[in-house]
Amino acid sequence: MSYAYLFKYIIIGDTGVGKSCLLLQFTDKRFQPVHDLTIGVEFGARMITIDGKQIKLQIWDTAGQEAFRSITRSYYRGAAGALLVYDITRRETFNHLTTWLEDARQHSNSNMVIMLIGNKSDLDSRREVKKEEGEAFAREHGLVFMETSARTAANVEEAFINTAKEIYEKIQEGVFDINNEANGIKIGQQHSPTNPSLPGAGNQAGSASSGCC
Amino acid sequence: MFRSRSWFGGNWNRPKNRLSLEHLKYLYSILEKNTTVSESNRGLLVESLRCIAEILIWGDQHDSSVFDFFLEKNMLSYFLHIMRQKSGGSSFVCVQLLQTLNILFENIRNETSLYYLLSNNHVNSIIVHKFDFSDEDVMGYYILFLKTLSLKLNTHTIHFFYNEHTNDFPLYTEAIKFFNHPESMVRIAVRTISLNVYKVQNASMLRFIRDKTAAPYFSNLVWFIGKHILELDTCVRTDIDHQSNQRLSNLVAEHLDHLHYLNDILLLEIDDLNAVLTEHLLHKLFVPLYIFSLTPAPPPTSLAVVTQNLAAVLNRPVDIDIQEINNPRVSSIVALYLLSLVFLVITHAPLVHALAWVILNGDHSVFKEGAAEILNAYVEHRLTVVPGFGEPRESLEQALETVGANSTSHSYDTDNIHNTLEAPVATSNAREVAGANAAESTSNTVTTEEQCAENDVCGISVETASAAAQAVLNNAKLANITDEEKEKIQKLVQPARAFNELNRPFLEMVLSALDCTENDYLALLSLCLIYAMAYNRGVKNDWFEQVLSQSAKGPYSYKTELIERLLHLITLSNQPSCRIRLITIEIALQLLVTFTKPCTDDACITEAQRDALFSARNQSMVVLRNFYKSEDIFLDLFEDEFNEMRKTNLNVEFLCMDSTILLPPTGTPLTGINFTRRLPCGEVEKARRAIRDFFLLRKTCQQFLNEKETLLPLTNTMNLVQVDNVLDLNNSDLIACTVITKESTKQRRFLVIDSLQLILVEPDAKLLGWGVAKFVGFLQDVEVVGDKDDSRCLHITVHRGGATHNRTPLLSAKFLFDDHIRCMAAKQRLTKGRSKARQKKMYQIAQLIEMPGQVIDSPVYAVAGLRAGSVASSSSRSSRDHRPILSTTNRVPGFAAALKRDTSAGGVCRIQMAQNRSIEGIRNESAGRPRRRNSNSSSHSSTSQNRDANSSPGREHSPRSSRDNSQSRSATRSRDNSPRMPRPRSEEIPLEDFQHSRNNSPHSRANSSHLNTPTRAHTPSRALNYEPIAITVHNSTPHDTHSPAPHHATQLNGVPIAKEVLVPVASSEETSFIGNEEAATSEQRRRGIIETV
Ligand SMILES: Nc1nc2c(ncn2[C@@H]2O[C@H](COP(=O)(O)OP(=O)(O)OP(=O)(O)O)[C@@H](O)[C@H]2O)c(=O)[nH]1
Ligand SMILES: [Mg+2]
Repeated sequence: MSYAYLFKYIIIGDTGVGKSCLLLQFTDKRFQPVHDLTIGVEFGARMITIDGKQIKLQIWDTAGQEAFRSITRSYYRGAAGALLVYDITRRETFNHLTTWLEDARQHSNSNMVIMLIGNKSDLDSRREVKKEEGEAFAREHGLVFMETSARTAANVEEAFINTAKEIYEKIQEGVFDINNEANGIKIGQQHSPTNPSLPGAGNQAGSASSGCC
Repeated sequence: MFRSRSWFGGNWNRPKNRLSLEHLKYLYSILEKNTTVSESNRGLLVESLRCIAEILIWGDQHDSSVFDFFLEKNMLSYFLHIMRQKSGGSSFVCVQLLQTLNILFENIRNETSLYYLLSNNHVNSIIVHKFDFSDEDVMGYYILFLKTLSLKLNTHTIHFFYNEHTNDFPLYTEAIKFFNHPESMVRIAVRTISLNVYKVQNASMLRFIRDKTAAPYFSNLVWFIGKHILELDTCVRTDIDHQSNQRLSNLVAEHLDHLHYLNDILLLEIDDLNAVLTEHLLHKLFVPLYIFSLTPAPPPTSLAVVTQNLAAVLNRPVDIDIQEINNPRVSSIVALYLLSLVFLVITHAPLVHALAWVILNGDHSVFKEGAAEILNAYVEHRLTVVPGFGEPRESLEQALETVGANSTSHSYDTDNIHNTLEAPVATSNAREVAGANAAESTSNTVTTEEQCAENDVCGISVETASAAAQAVLNNAKLANITDEEKEKIQKLVQPARAFNELNRPFLEMVLSALDCTENDYLALLSLCLIYAMAYNRGVKNDWFEQVLSQSAKGPYSYKTELIERLLHLITLSNQPSCRIRLITIEIALQLLVTFTKPCTDDACITEAQRDALFSARNQSMVVLRNFYKSEDIFLDLFEDEFNEMRKTNLNVEFLCMDSTILLPPTGTPLTGINFTRRLPCGEVEKARRAIRDFFLLRKTCQQFLNEKETLLPLTNTMNLVQVDNVLDLNNSDLIACTVITKESTKQRRFLVIDSLQLILVEPDAKLLGWGVAKFVGFLQDVEVVGDKDDSRCLHITVHRGGATHNRTPLLSAKFLFDDHIRCMAAKQRLTKGRSKARQKKMYQIAQLIEMPGQVIDSPVYAVAGLRAGSVASSSSRSSRDHRPILSTTNRVPGFAAALKRDTSAGGVCRIQMAQNRSIEGIRNESAGRPRRRNSNSSSHSSTSQNRDANSSPGREHSPRSSRDNSQSRSATRSRDNSPRMPRPRSEEIPLEDFQHSRNNSPHSRANSSHLNTPTRAHTPSRALNYEPIAITVHNSTPHDTHSPAPHHATQLNGVPIAKEVLVPVASSEETSFIGNEEAATSEQRRRGIIETV
């Protein structure tokens, strides 16, 4: 599958906030949300288009890696974007955000785009964290904020795509060193500097995307 | 046609309910009917596989019959069957298969379902299937699949994955094959999997890991890390200009990942595994690469000579490929750095202890023998790994293949591990044996390339050469050479040995690296290493100290040498031309404290060493005095640096994450390097450095004197008014105004000007004459600009303070006053308040660094030093304002005189007292409101008072004559144990004043009676008399306590003043009265005041 860029994402937050569900919801639309069944997965990829360019998002979930220091520290570094997720029905998941953010900031590439996600917005009746609180936290820490639901798919697309847009803008501004894969960005074949617009590449991308999702 | 119908929207035979057993049965029928994957049914199969995942998870939670059906029909075998087909193996189908499996294993909650899924060997068959790993999605899903499985491992499930009888553990062995995959997330997953595996407490599985995989895996891992380090080294060598910083920092971060991974393994405390890992790390990496690189390469001839001679002796060509024995070497910078990292990260005692032992005690023989002596103490029957940095003979893949193929073989043994007892005599080839000793590495292209570029053939150590010779010697035995020949060879070996015959070459190297004559490039890293060793939990502290203090070099112990070198570095750091970074000084000071343990029972520092430290401190004051200017920026810098220093604790681990310390020290901030980690650039930064250096030394000296800091920070935050404090404003000067912010919000406020703060208050609704502080800012950060168009208007900005003004100000607003006069008065007070607040702090600094001019020197000097450009507006009047009072005060020549002149009429003490009074007038409302002041502040001021008293007697005179005896005095102080900042007697009074000002409390005045205060206090001052401004303050006594008359007269020249009256400054009287009392009395008095509130 051909793409202009590949962005690596990580997805972090307390257990049970819905990280895996969000990931599957975004990467594989064929899994229709069903009333009482939310399936999750911890890896996924999907093509999106920004500014007419094919961009592949590759998302790696943390699950189970938190036990080891070596793992957490390296995990953050290779990512261009991070989704920091809390559960709006459980305040403690919101309270832990600072710790997550500290960890992320300490280990990640300073350009990493972090998006704050208040998940499970479908459970408004059980809400414990006000939307305004999420907004305030995001403002205070310079994050983009959104409330989503992995169950109804509300805002899920937007969350991932807005993050990608921001990364893309940073690339355009020249903030990201795209030649350094440690930043979580890969340049696709078609975009290689020697051959910026390979004629066949576009076709390939087209056919490939029809094959997948 | 059936296929296409059902795939493309046909509902033929398809159950309505997507999540039901019926649907699964239907999907099963599809699998049954499409056992061969083709172009045409691929889509159908993929969708079916996807749906199966969905139904199974649903079934797991809702309907157990779903799972039963899945197992009964053995549907996993269909999965296997599909992926094994050529076309089925296309990544399209495989991605779906793997995703389905992942969903299955991640989302399943039912334990028994999981067991059933694992119970036949299908999962293992899937694991060993060779997918197309070049497809990044396949790779991602596959490694995630393994990771998910590894998370399910426990003592029960382990048997599904590890087969004891066949010695088969594909989950682990397949995973570790990707240990150096280019994709970082894959490597991370591999590490997670391996750690999850090791965690399982299953003896036979662990035995398998150790016996069959540990040696190949660890040797490859270590080699991989080593290669990475060579890359890092190249980067450091080529990047002298800090250009490829990103790359270097990534390499460093990556290396840290490796170390942390190793540490995580070691922390699991699996003894057998740790023994193997320790052995490999030590003898395949740390010793032969890191330690080896500490000492310089011997002259390039040695090896050539040795080989030549050998050839001559043996009378046949000697097959020692020079390049092959050429052991890789990294720069000593990198070596010190890497060793530091080891000690900062790894805590496994046998490993760090052995490595520390090598550094402290070892000599070059270690390259042959390793750290056997130490390791034997930790591990019984250890399997020795012969030291040498080189590529494992077998790749991990090959090695693991052998494991699989021949379950009982010990094939790995022949590779890297030799049982000590079975000497490796295998081949009669010199090269072979020599290679085992030092340089298996060398056929590797990466290594040789880089080495050749750097130092050609010279990278070979004497030991390697002699080892080679020794090898030949051994070899010669086998080849039946004559005794005569043997002797000759022996002789050849000896001189090589004698070369570089230092007792402890590595320790010597580390210590001599502390030399900073040129710069501190090496020294910083050497300090990091010493620090890391000293603070490593695995290195026994007493042992470390013991080794250092016992082993002698000449007449001194190494410890003494270390202390001396640290002191030398510290002394050097105050030389104007020195190129020593702040961070270096900080660590050096910290280590000095660590090794001398001041103020403990086993303190060990000689008088001379102590003197050296104190004179370094004094020298830092001398340097700082050169920067002491009354330009605003100096004060800002001073306070900034103090705050900065207070905020950050020394953290060497963080420091060592910063790859820039690997590059030559640079001065330019353009590199983005943190200020303390580079050299100062420009005058301002030189001043900052001098300030910081002084703080560091001051702090350390205080540690040696067992003193607490009492003079810093300059602002005593305890006495500050905070927002929402309720203040008694009776008798305070208030100027009513309207504050108009940028957003055009208007607020009616009263402006109160305290000695340090600008306060905006709102009348308290409940108490007449009281107000609530709505805004507070420091006067010193106030900027006032008049308005061209409106004479009643001022633009006031209150900055956040500090030297950098790029942050948004605390307040920036237009202030509208009732009339022009009030406006002018406010402006004047603010301007003056600002300069006074600043002057006061400048005096404090002057005391702190014992400014000679400020302290005893001639008034002329003092004035010049102080006033240059400081308060521009005041310079014109100052000469006129000089009052004769002070000429009578014979004990206060310089400092006080300067004060007097500058602040005119009352001199500083009076002004401050006046201000203090006004502060005193502003009181907390105690009940239910935040208290602005607590009792600490008063006790604080009294302690400092005592200290002042202690420090005054018995002064020694310095060579600089009595004018400035400060320098040598500190040394004296250390002996007479008086813990105060020394000052010449003559300036005691002003200091007291400044002490007051710090505490905003006039009570603790003790010795000021000789100052002519009462006289002055009774001098009637002319002051502005404001009309009572606000309803709430009708009862306030109208007078300006801040500004004695002559000032006003000058300053308000030409400005129409509503009313000028002569008012006795009652407050001054009061204060001066207190001033005559004993401190204790004033304490009581103070309490009394508080009680009356
Ligand atoms: N109502 C509702 N439930 C959700 C939503 N997202 C996730 N869930 C449920 O929350 C639970 C946890 O979701 P996961 O995706 O496994 O959470 P996670 O963050 O991946 O948790 P860990 O893998 O343990 O770190 C599941 O039971 C989901 O069904 C949502 O948007 N709305
Ligand atoms: Mg999850």
